[in-house]
Amino acid sequence: MEQTKYLVVGSSHAALEAVTAIRMHDAEGSLTLVTRDTLLPYSPTVLPYVVSGRSAPGDVFLRDEQFFAANRVDYRRGAALEALHTGRNAAELADGSEIIYEKVLLATGAAPAIPPIPGLDQVKYHVLRTLDDATRLHAAISQSKHAVVLGAGLVGMHAAENLVKAGASVTIVEMAKQLTDGYFDPTAAQMIEKAFVDNGATILTGSRVVKLAPSAVGATLTLENGKTLEADLLLVATGVKPNMDFLGDSGVAHDRGILVGDSMQTSVANVWAAGDCAQAKSFFSDDKVMNSILPDATEQGRIAGMAMAGDPGLKHYPGGVPLNTYHFFGRHAISVGSSRLTEGAEVVTRFDEASGRYLKAIFKDDRLLGIYGVNEFFDGGVMCQLILRRVDLSAVKQRFLANPLAVGRELMSKLWR
Amino acid sequence: MGRGYNTIAFDAARCDGCGDCMTACAGAKTGTQDKTRSRIQIVGDASGGFELALCRQCGDPKCVTVCPAGALTKDGASGVIDWNAAKCVDCLLCTVGCAYAGIALDAGSGHVAKCDMCYESPAGSPACVPACPHGALTYITTSRIYNEVGDWEDLFAPGLAGCQGCNTELLMRHTLRRVGPDTVLATPPGCVPGMGSVGFNGTTGTKIPVFHPLLTNTAAMLAGIKRQYKRVGREVLALAIAGDGGASDVGFQSLSGAAERNEQILFMVVDNEGYMNTGMQRSSCTPYGAWTSTTPVGKGSGGMPSQGKTQDAKNLPLIMVNHRCEYVATASTAYMEDLYDKLDKAIEASKRGFAYLHVYSPCTTGWRFPTDQNMEVARKAVETNFVMLWDYTPGAGLRFTRPVDQPLPVTEYLKAMGRFRHLSPDQISHIQAKVVENLAFVKQMVHRASAPGGET
Amino acid sequence: MNTAALDVPDQAGPAKQKVILCEGNEAAALAVALARPDMVAVYPITPQSSLVEHVAKLIADGRMDADIVDAEGEHSVLSVLQGGALAGARTYTATCGPGLAFMFEPYFRTSGMRLPIVMSIVTRDGITPQSVWGGHQDAMTVREVGWVQLYCETVQEVLDTTVMAFKIAEHHDVMLPVNVCLDGNYLSYGTSRVELPDQAEVDAFLGVKNVNWHVALDPLRPMAVDPLTGGSGGKGPATFVRYRKGQCRGMQNSLRVIEEVHEEWAQRFGRRFAPLVEEYRLDGADYAIMTLGSMSGAAKDAIDEARDAGKRVGLIKLKTFSPFPVEALLKSLAKIQALGVVDRSVGFRWNCGPMYQETMGALYRLGRHVPSMSFIGGLAGADITVGHFHRVIEATEKLLSGPAPTEPVWLNERD
Repeated sequence: MEQTKYLVVGSSHAALEAVTAIRMHDAEGSLTLVTRDTLLPYSPTVLPYVVSGRSAPGDVFLRDEQFFAANRVDYRRGAALEALHTGRNAAELADGSEIIYEKVLLATGAAPAIPPIPGLDQVKYHVLRTLDDATRLHAAISQSKHAVVLGAGLVGMHAAENLVKAGASVTIVEMAKQLTDGYFDPTAAQMIEKAFVDNGATILTGSRVVKLAPSAVGATLTLENGKTLEADLLLVATGVKPNMDFLGDSGVAHDRGILVGDSMQTSVANVWAAGDCAQAKSFFSDDKVMNSILPDATEQGRIAGMAMAGDPGLKHYPGGVPLNTYHFFGRHAISVGSSRLTEGAEVVTRFDEASGRYLKAIFKDDRLLGIYGVNEFFDGGVMCQLILRRVDLSAVKQRFLANPLAVGRELMSKLWR
Repeated sequence: MGRGYNTIAFDAARCDGCGDCMTACAGAKTGTQDKTRSRIQIVGDASGGFELALCRQCGDPKCVTVCPAGALTKDGASGVIDWNAAKCVDCLLCTVGCAYAGIALDAGSGHVAKCDMCYESPAGSPACVPACPHGALTYITTSRIYNEVGDWEDLFAPGLAGCQGCNTELLMRHTLRRVGPDTVLATPPGCVPGMGSVGFNGTTGTKIPVFHPLLTNTAAMLAGIKRQYKRVGREVLALAIAGDGGASDVGFQSLSGAAERNEQILFMVVDNEGYMNTGMQRSSCTPYGAWTSTTPVGKGSGGMPSQGKTQDAKNLPLIMVNHRCEYVATASTAYMEDLYDKLDKAIEASKRGFAYLHVYSPCTTGWRFPTDQNMEVARKAVETNFVMLWDYTPGAGLRFTRPVDQPLPVTEYLKAMGRFRHLSPDQISHIQAKVVENLAFVKQMVHRASAPGGET
Repeated sequence: MNTAALDVPDQAGPAKQKVILCEGNEAAALAVALARPDMVAVYPITPQSSLVEHVAKLIADGRMDADIVDAEGEHSVLSVLQGGALAGARTYTATCGPGLAFMFEPYFRTSGMRLPIVMSIVTRDGITPQSVWGGHQDAMTVREVGWVQLYCETVQEVLDTTVMAFKIAEHHDVMLPVNVCLDGNYLSYGTSRVELPDQAEVDAFLGVKNVNWHVALDPLRPMAVDPLTGGSGGKGPATFVRYRKGQCRGMQNSLRVIEEVHEEWAQRFGRRFAPLVEEYRLDGADYAIMTLGSMSGAAKDAIDEARDAGKRVGLIKLKTFSPFPVEALLKSLAKIQALGVVDRSVGFRWNCGPMYQETMGALYRLGRHVPSMSFIGGLAGADITVGHFHRVIEATEKLLSGPAPTEPVWLNERD
């Protein structure tokens, strides 16, 4: 029976950071990484840029074989985790083989969540989670005249912009009342919507597809209000769900994702989880949430790796702080922190219509909770630290709001440079 | 073992916010004068001071880990985090990953931009540093020492019986790493054997031949050793690591004799300004006003209080210059690059004749300062011109290696330690005047300051 | 220089020895050349100066291949040689009087480090009252720090002993520094006929040099030399005691080695010197006088005259003063009933001569009372004549029947 000290399942950001963290503290312990992917590691976040043609599909890899060799990692592609037998510390792979682990990290990521719309299984549609998905979608865009994107998250919006730029008429259908719900506030969302509409896209927010059927060009979509849309290209981008089917009767507690504690440990000994498959605490509450963003995946992966290796330098996970950036039609939007308005929260906004610059900041007790900008560049990483460190901004608040870039840097230089 | 890298250091106290560094960076990197496009950003604060935002070239860079496109990589050789324009997708995730504002959107290009230390420039050094007219920016290349020395064998025992925070141990380890095993080491009575260089009762503190000379005959014994190896055709370095007392007082005759005969010796003096090993007594290198256990502070008699040493320190390195040695230099562990340069030159010079290296070495125990302040005290000594860093060769004469053009008042140095706590205003004035006089004296000896390339 | 004979063809005879006329200082220098040291360090002082001048000239003329270090003082002279010895060099120097006093710190240490350095003491009185003249006060003053000290009687003995000193010092059972003491003025400047041994014979006699097998400062054999020892804590004083005991053992071993080396010398070169204690006309003597160094020649003449006059007196002469040859001396003392000891220096503590004081210790071991008295003569270069020795003989003879004086007799007090 094959045995390994550390088993890492997955090969994207959380998994790669865990490998590095383990090797920082334990240069020798046997380390095996299994991934169902057959390609070298890449980031799901880069896929919209493969779709747009900005990134060449062969040039997006985060690591090469040499990295794994140098870190003495037994790196196995095309090796999907089938089942986790926690009672005997065994990982069963799709080919039936088993690996006995001392410690295992589940960094299996997420897969597209396909909404249960009648008829969806009868039509051709695209999703975007793998490099193959991206390559296919990239090829299809140039052929499309009428495209429909289901879901106005960042994946959907990126694809929609590419389709618009390729000359298709594009309709975006979103259940929520605004675009980019959960990423940006209504004001920013309106700016994004305006940019899309100005470029010829149709935005249907607060709208829902209730039925799909094959048609001559591709698919006919029926909306809640009875209207129909014809699509020769349909992208379903309505969110993701964690890959955790392999948990079975492992006893590993899970809710929307795999539930983890302060050092990414699961409810079962010797099992950790990190990244898009994990459900960890929020910085802003004790609730466990899906912090499915790239920076959080790296942080969780690093913490899990340190915990697995017994690194005494480990500090507990502070909780997820949402961090998002978004480029659209030459403009950029950045969001850092919570958008939830708790009691006593103070919201300050500033909008300059001429320049299109928008800033919104949320404070509580003169501490920053969240900050949002469109075309207003500030250092998101610095803002995140102001939130995590709960820096008292009472003395500088007005200056900070006037110029978060400069004042953020000043505070950084004084407090933690 | 990991590598050390060069870095840009910022001294906020020297910055007046002129922005010349930013102009230089923008010019070098964008061909414009637009300071907002500079990769080094100086920001003013509410109280008139200035702060810095600049890539730290982190060892564990978050910008690299959060990049989805593999566009950022840490270069193992230079330590610089490289940005690859062809791979970047302008997602800005790196800017939310970095906690130091080290990578930011350059509105002029629409891409992120970050400092790359100008490491591919022909000058091999950052454009911002020489542009600073106030010395607020320094290009620190000390990493070379870490990278080179780290791989050399430490020839001293891992545990030595020195005081906590002792500067001399640092000096011993660095020096022996540099000179290597083909060395015979003389450590006359004092702190160096006191902390175990020659060992105790049959154990040894070093991995090279080492001995106690007498306090009085270090240079003479080394001369005999070196001469015999030379006679039989073997290249062996004869090295002394001696205290200031043994060198400047009772051992001075043999030191002077060996220097006059141009014996092929490297004689390093660790100047902690007194007989620290025996309990902090005065030596001729003890500075004016300093408390020592033989120049104590008391009410005195006849209305004349006892206020520390009543004479100025003997300037031993200048005396050695007047022996016209192959090499004479002063050094400080607060300036390791400078020290290593001088060590290298001294080693070479010792193959031709007498090489003398005088290292100012603060003593936490005897000078009365906290054990974590050694480098700070050593640095303050230089920054106030209380000590000066220079070197001398017969060919090039004497030259400053780290001139301090705007010295801090000497009180900045004096107040860093307890041995000067009792000084009267008159005594402080005397010391400040002596600093000025010493500087003027050494400057007179800098014959070829304008021709720094003229050394041998 | 009176070395012209060096350039004449070899004399006939099995030992192939040249005969020259030279002073004692030059004889010492020629002996040093024969011993082929690697390193000589020098600092001039009267009456040693012409010795190091001869050495320097031999090197300058290419007749001696040694590194000469003109050090800035005697302290460094001996220190340079210590370094050289630790690096494997055969080493030599010479000094006296104030120079010896100045080098006392490294002098003390040479024996502790067991370095086989050979140093001539061209003995000198002083330091104060100021005197540049001969006397044993300098060598006697440092007799307690573990050097072997050999006193010569003639210029030939200076030459032969100086060569032998290297063999004694470097003997593996000894490994101690050796002083060859030659009386300032009388031997240093006294010119006499000297047989010069053949270089090849001397090479064979001295054998292969190995002076730092036991302690070295050599990167090929890294070791810590002279670490701190002793103290009431840690390992305690055991290490220190072991070293000290070893020094004393080396000193005692040297008594045997000195005899062996003198015997080999006699067989190779045909000249026999009493290595430790010389008896002169002691058989059949009722009493004896005792001498050291160059004064012994006049003493022997006085003994001859006294014997001719029917006095039953003999002579005991010490060559090896340090270590004190107690056993050999006891054999001589066993033959006599009274003893007069002539010193060329003073022992301040006992109000007598130092050799007298040491001999009294030996006499205690004899187990029988031998009346004795101390004579002090030849201070500050004064001559001890045959006449002086007749006074010594007369005074000693009285000890056979009368009380022994507690005060020393000062021979040159009214000269």
